[in-house]
Amino acid sequence: MNSLDPRVNRLPQITEAVLPKAALDQFGTYEVFVQPKEGKPFQHEGIVHAPNLELAWVLAKETFTRRFTCASLYVVDTRDVYVSPLTEGDKNVYDVLPQVAEQSGSKKNFEIYHLVKRGKQHVHVGTVQAVLPQEAMHLAGKQFNHSKVVFNVWAIATDTIRFTTDEEKELWLTLPEKKFRDASDYKGGDKLKEFLEKSNFN
Amino acid sequence: MYGGGNTFEGIKTDNLAQEDPIKLAAFEARIARGEKIEPTDWMPQLYRKQLIRMIEQHAHSEIIGALPEGTWITRAPGFKRKMSLMAKVQDEVGHAQLLYSAAETLGKSREQMIDDLINGKSKYSNIFNYPTFTWADCCFISWLVDAGAIVNQLANAKGSYGPYCRALDRICAEESFHLKYGHHCVIYLASGTAKQRQMFQEALNRWWPPMMHFFGPSDKISAHTEVLMRWKVKMGTNDEMRNQFLDMYVPKIWELGFTIPDPNLKKNESGKWEYTEPDWEEFKRVINGDGPCNKERLEVRRIAEARGKWVREALKTPKMSYVTPLA
Ligand SMILES: [Fe+2]
Ligand SMILES: [Fe+2]
Ligand SMILES: [Fe+2]
Repeated sequence: MNSLDPRVNRLPQITEAVLPKAALDQFGTYEVFVQPKEGKPFQHEGIVHAPNLELAWVLAKETFTRRFTCASLYVVDTRDVYVSPLTEGDKNVYDVLPQVAEQSGSKKNFEIYHLVKRGKQHVHVGTVQAVLPQEAMHLAGKQFNHSKVVFNVWAIATDTIRFTTDEEKELWLTLPEKKFRDASDYKGGDKLKEFLEKSNFN
Repeated sequence: MYGGGNTFEGIKTDNLAQEDPIKLAAFEARIARGEKIEPTDWMPQLYRKQLIRMIEQHAHSEIIGALPEGTWITRAPGFKRKMSLMAKVQDEVGHAQLLYSAAETLGKSREQMIDDLINGKSKYSNIFNYPTFTWADCCFISWLVDAGAIVNQLANAKGSYGPYCRALDRICAEESFHLKYGHHCVIYLASGTAKQRQMFQEALNRWWPPMMHFFGPSDKISAHTEVLMRWKVKMGTNDEMRNQFLDMYVPKIWELGFTIPDPNLKKNESGKWEYTEPDWEEFKRVINGDGPCNKERLEVRRIAEARGKWVREALKTPKMSYVTPLA
């Protein structure tokens, strides 16, 4: 290649054709949940593609918490999120969910997420103990369905989540020092003013 | 980064007649009420297709847009500028990640999108097919191309598709640093030596025509987009976006004593900017692959894909299966 960029010129020539990508070349997806501040609930932020849960956590940190203050984050395989239907208008999704009788078996924790405004993010409302995710939603309906219309519910088995450990939270302590990432660190105002006073363009 | 290409090809509205009229009416009513459309909602085929195309092109523009600026990381003037530029370029690649994800919720796989980029089947913003000769070209991009992108992105953030709007809200928040950083760089060149001033003036001369192309063809010649406006896929016409950009940034460029290479550029009594129509034939040529850097940009992506392949294959596990991401 004849590029202005010496690094591009140093790239190896690839002679073989680049074939269409195989399925899962970009891996599966993981849902990312972020706690913006200590004491605030976790909220859904988006997804990352990753080969496993551990790398999903690493990539989530890079993609979603590079810039904004963040207290904690966790990730879960998209396939491990149990999703209710989506309702609209004044129809509460809990009114359309089936009744589920208490199941026998060993219970585990499920994290419950609500969508209370279309277009916004799903927000964590609490944890319930159940055997099945359907049952977890049913229980959530009794515990967390108070006043606002809920349009969509997610139930995630807690043991499928990759949480952030207390030690790892130190990762975000460096954020305030990285001033070069802040708009407010680029104060051109004084320099501009001085320049305008000296110049006679205007 | 974003602009241009998506509005270049015309759209066919005749298959709208095949949509269920009751569902279509409910869909349109929801948008008219200002409610967002979410991935599992019913939507017309045309809406899905247009959004995929637009969000995908936006994603490609971010990832290709990282190349002309990325070139200057190794040669940035000073450690501080190097850190800032690295952070900015990392942001742009992050934007691509967010946007690809939003497009995936509509049913197109990331594999397919990357294939289409590399094969030249899907477009990206034409402006990144121009070279960055000097540091000043890089400063032009950071300040003014990003400014143009922000005009588009702020408008699109008020669109109708939930996942795209949420991605754009994040992106816009990060863009504010890009804009301030870029302006800071240009102020330093403007208040520097005669040589520095000349360097930026020359960059401005080179980049002005592609910057005018950035918002897409003039409304007089561009495809009819009424239905896309009604569905809040497109939030303003190309000329409206261009005018907004000129209104916000021409005074800031003039303030620094630079000359914009268009003798007809002025604001008329009604507050609209008048300018020489840019060369739309050149725009078409570049969009269709014949710009100064098209080949290099795609080749760099192609090589990156090929070199990374063994890593991706090594990381694959039999447990994987694909499901459409949630939101
Ligand atoms: Fe940009
Ligand atoms: Fe960007
Ligand atoms: Fe940017």
